[in-house]
Order: sequence, then structure tokens, then C-alpha cells
Amino acid sequence: MSTAALAVTNVTKRFGSHHALDGVSLDVATGDAVVILGPSGCGKTTLLRLIAGLEVPDSGEIWLSGTQVAGPRRSMVASHQRGIGFVFQDLALWPHLTVEKNLGFVLESVKTPRAERVPRVHEALKLVRIEELSTRYPHELSGGEQQRVALARAVVGQPRVLLLDEPLSSLDQELRATLRAELARLQRALHVTTVYVTHDREDAAVLADCVVEMRAGRIASVSDTKRKEERA
Amino acid sequence: MWGWQSSRTAVVGIAIVVFGVCCLLPVGCLLTMSLTGTGGPYSSVWLDARQRGLLYNTVLLGTGTALLATAIGAPLGVALARIALPRKALFRLALGAPVLLPPYVVGLAWIYLGSSRGLVATLLGRDLVSDWTYSLPAAILVLGLVLYPLSMLATEVAMRRIDGRLEEAALMVAPPSRVLWRITLPLAAPSIFGAALVIFVLAVSEFGVPGLLRVRVYTTEVFTAFAALYDFSRAMLVAVPLLLLCLAVAAVAAALLGERLVITRRSAGTRPAFLDAWRRPAVTGALVVLAVALGLPLAVLVREALGATSLSAVLEGSGEAIANSLLLATVGATAVLSVAVWLGYSRARARGRIGQVADVLFVVVFAVPTTIVGVGLIGLWNRPGVLGTVYGTDFMFLLAYLARFVPVAALALAASTRYVPLSHEEAAAVSGAGWLRTMFRIVLPQIRLGLVAAWVISFVLAFGELGVSILVAPPGEATLPIRIYTIIANTPSSHVAVLALLQTLVIFTPLAALGAAVSLREGR
Repeated sequence: MSTAALAVTNVTKRFGSHHALDGVSLDVATGDAVVILGPSGCGKTTLLRLIAGLEVPDSGEIWLSGTQVAGPRRSMVASHQRGIGFVFQDLALWPHLTVEKNLGFVLESVKTPRAERVPRVHEALKLVRIEELSTRYPHELSGGEQQRVALARAVVGQPRVLLLDEPLSSLDQELRATLRAELARLQRALHVTTVYVTHDREDAAVLADCVVEMRAGRIASVSDTKRKEERA
Repeated sequence: MWGWQSSRTAVVGIAIVVFGVCCLLPVGCLLTMSLTGTGGPYSSVWLDARQRGLLYNTVLLGTGTALLATAIGAPLGVALARIALPRKALFRLALGAPVLLPPYVVGLAWIYLGSSRGLVATLLGRDLVSDWTYSLPAAILVLGLVLYPLSMLATEVAMRRIDGRLEEAALMVAPPSRVLWRITLPLAAPSIFGAALVIFVLAVSEFGVPGLLRVRVYTTEVFTAFAALYDFSRAMLVAVPLLLLCLAVAAVAAALLGERLVITRRSAGTRPAFLDAWRRPAVTGALVVLAVALGLPLAVLVREALGATSLSAVLEGSGEAIANSLLLATVGATAVLSVAVWLGYSRARARGRIGQVADVLFVVVFAVPTTIVGVGLIGLWNRPGVLGTVYGTDFMFLLAYLARFVPVAALALAASTRYVPLSHEEAAAVSGAGWLRTMFRIVLPQIRLGLVAAWVISFVLAFGELGVSILVAPPGEATLPIRIYTIIANTPSSHVAVLALLQTLVIFTPLAALGAAVSLREGR
């Protein structure tokens, strides 16, 4: 049994004849931010989807805070029972719900008492600095604002692990730099265990305690960063 | 790319003229004649209690059918879209088949099941359900079982268009049932509601089932006024409220469905089969629906047909009607396709508001009830001079098929044509090809399966057409549907059942071939 916040042990995943992941193992300590780097098709998104419970591993185990959530000897723990916040590459904001209802849906689903929901929504929006946009619909927001909503939605339920799948890839350089700094600030403030997938080394330099490089479905290297050393 | 002087202008122009003459003029003629008072004062038919009863029955038939068809069809659509069902393509084809059965064939089966001398009375030894068999709820049940595939297919298509990541994002915090109710269904709701409105229109436009089950609605009243009372003026006036009701509802439906009518592209994201835990109840439910909507009516007809002593005796009096139907449906489907292909192309390439207007027009024209199309065609063509030479000939059947089925074929072909990138035409144009050459060598070959499907659907619909045909048929001429409908009262039920089964067989044979072709293509 692993005691890390997130432990992936010898996980393999195939899609037909394609080996998406081949014996991947990874431990992430509580509060750490791990950035997974690698070219397109190397398996980074698949790894994230396996941790989230959106895919089932062919073999291997996944543990969250000492609880096995996927593995050969027990059935899968459903995604919504894993305590995960996920920021998708295309953000996946629900278009028929306003910003506050996007966040409210999460709190209703994790059974947050009714009286706490509105304050929690506003707290999350304040954290990402978009309190004034709470009644807008996603299509009424700019790209950067949508990004912040997605982030607020991912953290409002106070997840044990935050997963981010190239959330800045569709933004221009300037906005990207701003939001990258915001993300780093947020991660430090919340001290939430984070796994961040990207192919941009700039993201890794600012956000990571630990950088994992992937190639062809395998982990090629793992290295601690300066940030981790400073934190230590 | 191609200017006004190209062959495109001539070809598309001719198609639009044919569409105007066949689909718009009959309705326009009916409206003009009623507004100019040719049919007598509106107040004489609009205000009496009988008319209010008709309106009540008609709206109830439409609403009940729409609700029932949606209650059956929408869950099946959800299952097809979000559950990894075994043999899904086969399920989809079988579950969709009832909508192509002529509704009166299913109505006939329900009569043989529930009438005083029907199967249920025979099995129970006494008559318990015959009163219910000939009633408005029974008509709602029959039409609901025939029309649910429209809701099913609309729901499935709508759900396939939803980006699966929206659902995955919700699955992070909520169980599948909650994701379905709060995220998926609200996003699919406009399509489901739009389909319900289309079903409403088709139900209130239906003539055969209410006629068979003795339910008084506008369509049967129009037919009675024209065919039994020979009162064309009254038929015309009674038709107007029904026409306005259908046009209004169809316009709302078309506006709701918007671009969804011609864009069937799947969403770019994943489509999680997150309802897989419901696979067993879904398969059971689908099998029950298939048994009730398809298996039971066909079994009842087969049982009834087994009472026929000689097949040749059955066919003896109906051979000409069968041959007529086959010939007319073949020629009719070809005529429909040769007009619809150019209209569909124009719609696919139209941008912005023109395209939206065309969609609304196609849906609204398709929504015109059959008996109204019939009365409109008679009003337009039954007059002295050149027009009169057409009236009273088999050409009226072709006009009827064009009026009824060009809009739906054009919409289907527009959806197919949208798959052909405009750049393919542009590449042909810069290579020196004219528009006609580009169409026949580049565009049409790429939509050949769509063309075959549109022809088959047109053939099937034309072969089963009753509402218009029975009004415009020349004296002494009959198609198989007319023959079946008119001999029900005075011919052994076994003979009628054999003819109904024959009709079903002719409809399902090309459909099965089309299904096999689609399956082969998907398998490649």
C-alpha cells in the first residue's frame, strides 16, 4: 500500500495494438506539483485520464491517499468518488450554466451543505479574480476568463488531487505567462497535490516541484526542480 | 466560382420552379381560394361546437402522440448514444424500422388484435377491449409506436454532437445519473423538443390511422367532406385551421432544430459510454419496444393472413394495384430524387439566413397534412384548359409524391452534401471543369450512398402513401394502399392482411439491402 498522495504503479494501457502506456510508475507527495512533459502521443493525457478514472488500466494500480482506486484485485472507484479536480484542455465549461452554476453543480454533487455553497462559489471566484463574472455564461467570457472559471470549478470542491491537461495551450504568449503565474500562486496558496500535463518547458519551470519526461508511453526521466529545493 | 451564366443557374433554377409548382402552389392555391371566399364564409365552419371538437381531438392526438413517442424514443436514443450496446447498428436499424411502416398497416394490425373478433377477444373468450381499440387513446398508441424512431434518432444525433468532455468534467464530481439529468439532457433538450414538435405535426397530419380507428380529427373531416359529401368548399375551409396549426408548429420546430437539420457532424471530443451500468435494462427495454412496435403487429397480420385459402385469390383482384404501386413508387422516387438533389446541394452551399429560411421552408412544406396537399392539388389542377388534361391521369400520383417527399429528400441530401468540402469543387473549378461536370464527377460520386438512401426512403414513403393518393387518384385507378384501405370493410380480413404483409415486405426489402450496404461500409 502506498502512502503518497498519488501513486501510479506499473500501469499499462493499450488502445487496440497501440501501447499508450507501458509500465508507468509515479509517486507524488502531498502538496507537490508534478509537471509531465513530452511530445504529442507520448501518453501524458492517457495517464491523466487513468488517474481521473476516465479510462481503465489494462494492468497496474493507482492509489490516491492510500486508497486503491484502480487495480486488478478490486473494481474501479468511480471518477466522482476519487476527489479529483480536472481542468480539461478545451476547458469543458458547461455552456447552458452560468459561471456560478458551473461551480454550484460541483458543490451540489459533493453534497456541500446548501448554506455553504454561495460563499464557497464566491471564494473560489475571488481566488481566480473573476468575482464579477458570476452571472455570465461561458460564451460571454474571453479565453482567459474561461480559463479562470475552469480553474475555479476544479478547485471549488476542495479536491485531493488537481489534474490539468494542457490548460494554457490555446492561449497567446502574453496571457499564457500571466495565467501560468496565477496557477503557480494558486497551487501554493491551496497546497493541493497537482499533476500538470504540458509540452511547454516554460510551464514546467514556473509550476513544477518535479518534472517527469515521457517518451512513447514510458517515463524517460524524473527530476526535482529548483522550486522544490527552495521549498525544502 | 461559378457565375450566374453557368449551368448551375439553369439546373438549380428548374429544381426551384418544380419545387414551387409541386410543393408550394397547391397550398397557396388552397389558401387563396379560401381567403377569396370561394369556399364560403369561415364562420360557418370555424365557430360551431363540431369544429371545436375536431380541434380538441386533433390537438389531443398530436400532443399525446408526441409525448408517448418521446417517452419511448428519447431513452432509446440515450441508450444508443451513451451505452455500448451489443450489435448497435442492427438495433438502430430494427428500432428505426417502424417509422417506415405505413401507419395504417400498424393500425390494421391493432384492429385485428383488439376488435370484437380480434385475437384478444378470441383468447379471452369475450370482448373486453374493442371499445378501447376504436378510440383516441388507441390512435395515440398506434401513432406513438410508429413515430417514436424520430425522437430516438433525434436524441441520439443530439447526444453524439455533445462534446464528451462536458460529461467527463461532470463525472469528476457527480454520478452518471446526475450527469445525464443535469448536463447531457439539457444540452440535448432543444433537439428532443424539436423532434416532439415534428411528431406532433405528423400525428395531426395523419389520415389513415384516425380513419381506421374511427377518430374524428381534421384530416378525416377533410376527407369526408371531399370524398363522401362531395363538398369541396367545406373540405377546403376545414383544411385551413389544420394547415395553420401545422405550419406554425413546424416553423417553431425548424427554428429550434436550426442547423441541426443539415449538419450531422459528430463532436470533436470523446463520447464516454458512462451509462454502461444500464446496459441490461437498456437491452431489455429495446427488445420490449421492438416486440410491441414491430413484432406484435407483424405477428398479428401473419396470423390473420394464414386464414387465407388461396394466395392467387387474394392477388387476383389486387394485381393491378400492386403493379401500379411498384411502377409509380419507382418513377416517383426517381422524380423526387432528380429534383431534391439540386435543392439539397443549394441548401448545403447556402450560407447564413438563406440556409435557415430554406430549412424552415422544407420542414413547413413537409408538415402540410396529406389531405390538405390532396385538396390543394385538386384545386390547382382540376380546372379547364391545359391543367385539366393532367388531372385525371396517373401524373397526379407523381405530383403528389413530389409535393410530399421532395422537402424531406432535399434535407437528407443537403446533410450528405455538407460532407463534401467546398474545396473539392474549387479544385475542380480551377482545373477547368464546369459546374455540371464537377457535380457528376466530383460531388455526386462522394454522396452516392446518400443518394441511394434518399431514393430508397422516397420509394418506401411513396409506396405507402395514402392520404394524398386516395384524393387525387383518377377514376378506376388504385395503388396498393388505396386498395387496402377501401377493401377493409367488405373483404375477408385474411385477404387484407396478406396485402398489408405484402406491402410490408416490399418496404422492408430495399431497407434491408440499404442497411446491409451501410453495415458493410461501416465495417470497412
